[in-house]
Amino acid sequence: MTAAAAEDRATALSVRSLGKVYAGTVALDGFDLDVRVGEVHALLGGNGSGKSTAIKILAGVVTAEPGGRIEAGGHVGRADQWSPALAHAAGLRFVHQQPAVFPELTIAENLALGEGFPTGPGGRIRWGVLHRRTAELLKRYHIAAAPTTPLGALAAVDRSRVAIIRALQDRDEADSGVLVLDEPTAALPGPEVEQLLTALRGYAAAGQTILYVSHRLDEALSVADRVTVLRDGRKVATVDTAGLSEGQLIELIVGRPIERLFPAVTQDVHDEAVLTVRGAVGGPLRGVDLSARKGEVLGIAGLLGSGRSELLRMIFGAYPMMAGQLTLDGKSYRPASPSAAMAAGVAYVPEERQADALFHTESVRHNLSAGQAGDYFRRLLFRHGQERRDASRSIGEFLVRTASDRHPVQTLSGGNQQKVVLARWLRQRPRLLLLDEPTQGVDVGARSEIYQLVRRATTAGTSVILVASDLEELAHACDRVAVLKGGRITAVVEQPLDAHHLTELVNISEAAA
Amino acid sequence: MTPDTTDPSVARGRPADKAAAADGTAVTGDGAVTGGSEQAIGEMAAAGGPAGRPGSDGALRLVRRRSVGILQRYSLVALLGISIGVYGIWGKTAAVFLSAADFRNIASSQAVLVVLTLGLIIPMISGSLDLSIGNAAGLSSVATAAFYAHGHVPLLVGALLGVLVGAIVGVVNGLLVVLLRVDSFIITLGTASAIFGIVIWYTGGQSIVLGIPQSLLSFGGGNLGGIPDSVYVVAVVGLIVWYLLEQTPFGRSLHAVGSNKAAARLVGIRVERMTFAAFVLSGAFAGLAGVLLLASSGAGNPEIGQSFTLTAVAAAFLGAASFKVGRLNVLGSIVAILFLAVNITGLTFAGVADWINQLFTGVALIVAIAFATALHRERRHRPRSTAQDSP
Repeated sequence: MTAAAAEDRATALSVRSLGKVYAGTVALDGFDLDVRVGEVHALLGGNGSGKSTAIKILAGVVTAEPGGRIEAGGHVGRADQWSPALAHAAGLRFVHQQPAVFPELTIAENLALGEGFPTGPGGRIRWGVLHRRTAELLKRYHIAAAPTTPLGALAAVDRSRVAIIRALQDRDEADSGVLVLDEPTAALPGPEVEQLLTALRGYAAAGQTILYVSHRLDEALSVADRVTVLRDGRKVATVDTAGLSEGQLIELIVGRPIERLFPAVTQDVHDEAVLTVRGAVGGPLRGVDLSARKGEVLGIAGLLGSGRSELLRMIFGAYPMMAGQLTLDGKSYRPASPSAAMAAGVAYVPEERQADALFHTESVRHNLSAGQAGDYFRRLLFRHGQERRDASRSIGEFLVRTASDRHPVQTLSGGNQQKVVLARWLRQRPRLLLLDEPTQGVDVGARSEIYQLVRRATTAGTSVILVASDLEELAHACDRVAVLKGGRITAVVEQPLDAHHLTELVNISEAAA
Repeated sequence: MTPDTTDPSVARGRPADKAAAADGTAVTGDGAVTGGSEQAIGEMAAAGGPAGRPGSDGALRLVRRRSVGILQRYSLVALLGISIGVYGIWGKTAAVFLSAADFRNIASSQAVLVVLTLGLIIPMISGSLDLSIGNAAGLSSVATAAFYAHGHVPLLVGALLGVLVGAIVGVVNGLLVVLLRVDSFIITLGTASAIFGIVIWYTGGQSIVLGIPQSLLSFGGGNLGGIPDSVYVVAVVGLIVWYLLEQTPFGRSLHAVGSNKAAARLVGIRVERMTFAAFVLSGAFAGLAGVLLLASSGAGNPEIGQSFTLTAVAAAFLGAASFKVGRLNVLGSIVAILFLAVNITGLTFAGVADWINQLFTGVALIVAIAFATALHRERRHRPRSTAQDSP
């Protein structure tokens, strides 16, 4: 990009020296961004690179550190004083990952909830005006639906488009302001992604400036004119997408040249497989083959929505398997429910600790023995003493920091809550432990303790299947890592594992190989 | 950038925050950027904000909390004692109130309510509400009266049939709640009304008075060693429910279901089965309450059952505010009922008209729920602060 070319289009959004520190952690460090009028600009970066923080600051919902500057639509503001109202006045419009649309209301009503209902005397809604206005918008944005259609009747992609229209409707000129889309395709089924991208290209062609945040490199390359790559809270580079390859982009994101792409898939060493999965189909999974050996930690690397959580739930009998076979210790295994899986010696630590694993109001003791209360009931008596002793032992053994086993589990910190959940399962000495993001929202100290505990269990013979978004973590914690993509295992990598290599395997599309 | 602080607890809090901030939007995708960020902000404020708080403050809070805990635990017992004292001294009521006969009267008249309430807390613990118990008791008392009057069944068979009628109501409630996946509040409000309709249709609005066996009536009015017969029934029911809730894996699972259904399912608890069983049990206890009602009133009265429902709900909530604070429990429920009964009787003796019954119960229900909600809110905030004390 030459200086002359940069000057021939005005800047729609300019950000200088944006900084953000969360309780001492630098999330953004002197971030600069320039978005030109009429371009689609992609903002890319790995997990924790700072792109979410940057968007939140732009939206005015997170306050930046002093010293930054934001300029858009003729408004110039200090970054630490930027507000939602200012963002709106400056023409910034946001469509979030899960847009707040109301499926049971009509399209017209959904749009009016953003803009306000046109009213007549006595506060009466002028439905005619609203429906005419909506019909016009639908026509302008090429959505074939009536204003009175319930939003829920539309395809997912059209619901997203309505959310975009809602964000844009109050502006007559498409070439003013910036439309900020945060992972707009994350919630869309595969075939509809391309439709949305086509629609975005159309809006861009009509002069709309778009800032597009994503972790999908192929999408960014196909829809954006330029990309800005963030790493560790800093801008790495802003480059034209013309002539840019996915490989080069990954190099920018991970900060290291690509040496190896798609090494030969390592064959499973036939060494006492505890669990084998053959052709598992269900949900996003389209035929997964996998085998976990005795005493190993097998990692599953995959993007959000790759089906990694569904795979674990399937093995635990909590997600339907449409086709395929599972064997556990050489015997056919088809759990119809979590209790059947538990009876077979399978344990599962779900991703959403708060929603799916903890009994918040119950004591630490009861949380530890949740689902195992039957073990303490003998000859019509509940052996409270034994339960208490076991709880104390687990608290010591699993390094849970709590004032006592009688305290409600919700009084514990995130890491200690997770250790309680882990202890609940590991004290039963499972054959197979399924871990979904076990260190999410857990501090570094507890994180390493959790992996120590996992290692201790594998030494005792438990096999572990571990799902984690943090590929660095997978590389360190696992003996092998299987890459789940497009509903299948596309590669299995053995130690020595390397996060950069995993990032490549997970992100790059097969087409680029 | 702001200078780094040296407090280790701050340092420990950090990466978790970062992860939470990223997760809120990128990983779990729970809602819009704003939603995610608010959550993240909350976590940040909690972990990073008042860091390095000296331990002495934490200890102080712990002491304060413990004393508050004891106050809470026995506040209702204390209120009950104060109420008895006041009515015992108060000129208007002292003459009639402190007599043993009066206590016996209160104890036996509340037996129906105690059995209903103890049945009710079973579904409540599992996170459901059964608003049909009063009408189920009414149905049971009318049906039992009819079994005796028209079927001439023996005493015990009639009583068991009464319990069975209540259990059948519970089966219907349980099936509807589990199969339709509709909020139990609405379902049981509907079945309550439907049951009342059936009772009025069957009885034509008339009480069944004739043909009730004398043995049942004398049980209702009788006593053994100076203690009314119905108090023994209450004691047995109390023991059964306490055993069920606190001493069996069933009770533990009920608590788990009430605390977090999704998590309960993932530790192998059959949530639907538990919910169903809870309704069958509350129905069966309502059936038993109906039989006691028939015994004490001497007639299968179609109108009287439903008046018990709200009082039972109030007593259950009040009871959750004592002994095991924040937890529905047997002893608390019984004390709550005594508290309500003593005050209503006392005020009636003092010359206040009947309306005091509804007024007092209604106010007590609201106070109890407000208390429980405040307690819940306090508990929600507590983890943040304690997490700080002992990371």
